[in-house]
Amino acid sequence: MHEHLYIVAYDIADPKRWRRVFRLMKGYGEWLQLSVFQCRMSRTRHAELIALLDGIIHHNHDHIVLMDLGPAEGVKPRVVSLGKNFEAIERAPIIV
Amino acid sequence: MDEQPQQELPLPFPEFSGDLPLMPARMVNEYQYCPRLAYLEWVQGEWADSVDTVDGRFKHRRVDRPGGKLPPADALDEGDRIHARSITLSSNRLGLIAKMDLIEGDAAAVTPVDYKRGKRPHIAQGAYDPERVQVCVQGLILEEHGYRCAEGMLYYVESKERVRVPLDDELRALTRRAIDGLRFIAAGGQMPPPLEDSPKCPRCSLVGICLPDEVRYLRQGRIEPRPLAVARATALPVYVQAYKARVAKRGETLEISIDDKKVQTARLIDVSELVLMGNVYVTTPTLHELMARGIPISWHSFGGWFMGYTQGTGHKNVELRTAQYRASFDEPTCLRLAKGLVAAKIHNSRTLLRRNWKDDTLDPKHLLDDLKRDQRHCARVDSQQELLGVEGSAAARYFGHFDRLIRASGAEGALSFDFNRRNRRPPADPVNALLSYAYTLLTRAWHVTLGAVGFDPYRGYYHQPRYGRPALALDMMEPFRPLIADSAVIQAINNGEVRPSDFISAAGSVALSPDGRKRFIAAFERRMSHEVTHPLFGYRVSYRRLLEIQARLLSRYLLGDIPDYPNFTTR
Repeated sequence: MHEHLYIVAYDIADPKRWRRVFRLMKGYGEWLQLSVFQCRMSRTRHAELIALLDGIIHHNHDHIVLMDLGPAEGVKPRVVSLGKNFEAIERAPIIV
Repeated sequence: MDEQPQQELPLPFPEFSGDLPLMPARMVNEYQYCPRLAYLEWVQGEWADSVDTVDGRFKHRRVDRPGGKLPPADALDEGDRIHARSITLSSNRLGLIAKMDLIEGDAAAVTPVDYKRGKRPHIAQGAYDPERVQVCVQGLILEEHGYRCAEGMLYYVESKERVRVPLDDELRALTRRAIDGLRFIAAGGQMPPPLEDSPKCPRCSLVGICLPDEVRYLRQGRIEPRPLAVARATALPVYVQAYKARVAKRGETLEISIDDKKVQTARLIDVSELVLMGNVYVTTPTLHELMARGIPISWHSFGGWFMGYTQGTGHKNVELRTAQYRASFDEPTCLRLAKGLVAAKIHNSRTLLRRNWKDDTLDPKHLLDDLKRDQRHCARVDSQQELLGVEGSAAARYFGHFDRLIRASGAEGALSFDFNRRNRRPPADPVNALLSYAYTLLTRAWHVTLGAVGFDPYRGYYHQPRYGRPALALDMMEPFRPLIADSAVIQAINNGEVRPSDFISAAGSVALSPDGRKRFIAAFERRMSHEVTHPLFGYRVSYRRLLEIQARLLSRYLLGDIPDYPNFTTR
């Protein structure tokens, strides 16, 4: 089960739903910009996230896109980043 | 079918009674797919999610909402239309319970409709046997309740197509055979063999638990194992060892703060275990969430002493624990396992010496020969006592030369690492302190792995049970001491990740400083993520995942699935 790197961007009409989506997204990826996250997910996680997001949003008013940047391991995502740095998520154990 | 009276079902089993649980109709589907899968799920209580199961639940969300009514069969009038969602019915005679997605029809005949996530398969019969059998089970249960039922329906969500499944005699016979088979394996307590090199295995969510190719290979040595069970670990441990740290759940993440200042967040989905060293404060909601997700928490003293661990309600696989205890009371089995473990440990110690030898002035050939002899000696011992002696002399040889693996520090005036002999409680020099610490980390890793696979870590075969000693974890760890712990120590020292100045010595004992400890844990975890080629199966696998595979192979051995437990050795 190999992981892919995704960019998830959303446009949510209602602030209450927007907060719910934001909270959920924090559990699945790294916050990149307003309403944009980068996530590193296996196919299972991807299916899970879609199911959960689908349960939150209003299908006529909101819009979410999940863009696949390719395999997370080894492939460097071709991204142009002006201003701040774009760094793909690495997976490492956390030691505090 | 319409005018005939209800026929007798020729089931050889008596009606379910007492507290025997009814089996879900889904299990008949699993049985038809693979009897071993049904056994693992139903008898041993194993479960793992895959894309298909997660997506399946999502696609089912609409039909899982109850709706409509299903009046009793005898109260149905001509012309009554039925359209009922998410109806649960059971039959004691079949011993089955089914949750039906949708039931349609009228007084003349009802049709169970089963929702499937994918596209309609383009095969002659319209659908695969497991799905046809499952919908036939639903039909049989409906008939038991007095409804008339001549066909079932499969609805494929992705292609939005319906496939008619006539409940003909052939399908009914197939279904009854599957029900019989399922009830037989559920009562029998003997795990069915894995499928042979089957295309079904790669998509099966339990493939990492079942190990079909590995078991086949160890039984007959014919087919080469496919790397099905070696998915990369997506979740990694979180260590908290900082003074005054606090762990709290925030949304879908864990927030670690020191003195009320947030220092780190970890997504819960990325956490495989939480390791706490010292008086770290964890909130109750966090404990609840971790237990609900099956993430174990291990508790250590500040110095690393393993004190215990917290998990949810524990593993459901009671059959495995029974087999583990049974074997532990059998002398010959214990000795056999112990011999293998010690021999593998000596083999791996020897490999480590050979690979990391840094001393040009001394030829290690003599030493390696001696170790080889010790290893062969293991196979000939008749008692655990004798085995202890062999292990002791091999360990003395090994640790007697351990300092030759450590690179001499070049800089003048810098402290160097001295190592003369292995000592502990408390360790008297930095290398011993590191070794002790690494063994603690490795014990924890094994303890958690064994718990997750369904073992009781406290009942072992080589180490005798003693107060608070995880005997099985220590047993299984033996071959991995040199490969993971000793190797991590050597790497940390030789790469200069841990320096002599990282140690605090007091009254003859030596301990790691908090910062040095942090760097050493990183070195240890890097070693755990290191990939090695499995000598038997030929695929590459990380040590992290290897521990689980070895634990599962031990369970396969104890349950009589494979003839011997294969120890892990490297070349």
